[in-house]
Amino acid sequence: MSNKYLRFWGVRGSYAAPFDSHLKVGGNTSCVEISADGHTLICDAGTGIIPLGNELVKGNARELMLLLTHYHWDHVCGLPFFVPAFLKEWTLNFFGPGNDRQDVEKHVSAQMKAPYFPVGTESWLAKINYVCPTNDTLQHGPMRITFRNVHHPGATFGYRICVNSKTVIYISDNECKFIEKSVSKQRSELNHEEQSLYDDLVREEHQSELEIIGNADILIHDAQYTTEDYNRKRGWGHSCYIDTVNMAIDAGVKELYLYHHDPNYDDEMIENIHQHALEIISERKSGLKCHVAREGLRVDL
Amino acid sequence: MGTEAPTVVLVDNSPAIKKLFQRSIKDLGIELKIFDTAADSWNYLKDNQPDLLFLSIILPDKNGLSLLKDLRKHTLHQNTSVIMVSSKDYAQDKLDAVELGVVDFITKPMPIQMITDVVIKYTANTSN
Ligand SMILES: [Zn+2]
Ligand SMILES: [Zn+2]
Repeated sequence: MSNKYLRFWGVRGSYAAPFDSHLKVGGNTSCVEISADGHTLICDAGTGIIPLGNELVKGNARELMLLLTHYHWDHVCGLPFFVPAFLKEWTLNFFGPGNDRQDVEKHVSAQMKAPYFPVGTESWLAKINYVCPTNDTLQHGPMRITFRNVHHPGATFGYRICVNSKTVIYISDNECKFIEKSVSKQRSELNHEEQSLYDDLVREEHQSELEIIGNADILIHDAQYTTEDYNRKRGWGHSCYIDTVNMAIDAGVKELYLYHHDPNYDDEMIENIHQHALEIISERKSGLKCHVAREGLRVDL
Repeated sequence: MGTEAPTVVLVDNSPAIKKLFQRSIKDLGIELKIFDTAADSWNYLKDNQPDLLFLSIILPDKNGLSLLKDLRKHTLHQNTSVIMVSSKDYAQDKLDAVELGVVDFITKPMPIQMITDVVIKYTANTSN
């Protein structure tokens, strides 16, 4: 077994879905572990981080880095139950959106306050470092990390992680092709000059979306909705899986993991989404490999 | 005195948005300064208060709302008129913007006339 791998601990968006009908895919919310030469990087701290924490304390490492895409509940709600934080021999480095360290600390601590939780982050015995969010590159062991703002309510980051000459991109929450859809809705009301400026705008946005995920060996991306649900929930900050697949093809991504599954979708429905994704890829004659992110799935890097 | 054109600053790295703004204000006698990044705009804004400031939320180097938070801490910008410009028109972003005292929040893409109208509206008191 390689000592460089990533593992999915939580793959749901919005809220945990521990229902019988959902467990082949998994019920925990966002959390991905990336491990390289004994260094542990964790993307998001949804409920999936709880079993990960229980596993980590059995191993030898006593330090980790936690990257938060943003502070919505499904991405931080596992932290109050993350055992390494309560053990004094551990060091936790937090990174996420904010103006400064204090901002990140404030956002991380906010959910652990009375009357919502019995103890605050002052009960954490681990050494906690809040990494300055204005650093543009981070290094954790052999992993080099950069980030970009993505399309989701509030400041939200997508992460690019380079390890072992592979590029893993983690974008849990992102609404693809948003402006393209806004423009097509307004198109009939535009004069000729505006139409041409708007077309430029759509091209630019498309290009910049492609750049964010370009050259990914592995892309883990929001694919929350079917077309019907997307149309009802446009503007909620999540993608229709069809757009995710098409963007990945356009950007030349090698492997795509459909991620942040809607908690209302059972195993069968997600299987149907996957089958349709494979059809789109074959129709477009693309070499993209597309998988469903499933809890427990481990991918060697 | 009092004959200077009002200054409007736009912080956005999109060439199409820049063109849209240049086109929208071309007959208004406004001085338009454009910066691509939060860092570039800061070099100017640390010493200058424009009559109106348009900030995009997704910038190459920083979130526009984070930039605004920093600007509000600066004595020069406690009352600067700011309009957020964003395709990211989510309720959470709008609420953050309101808390930071913006005068308006406009959603991309916006028609030429709309930009012209807001520029006239918010620079009316500052021109002579
Ligand atoms: Zn989420
Ligand atoms: Zn979210």
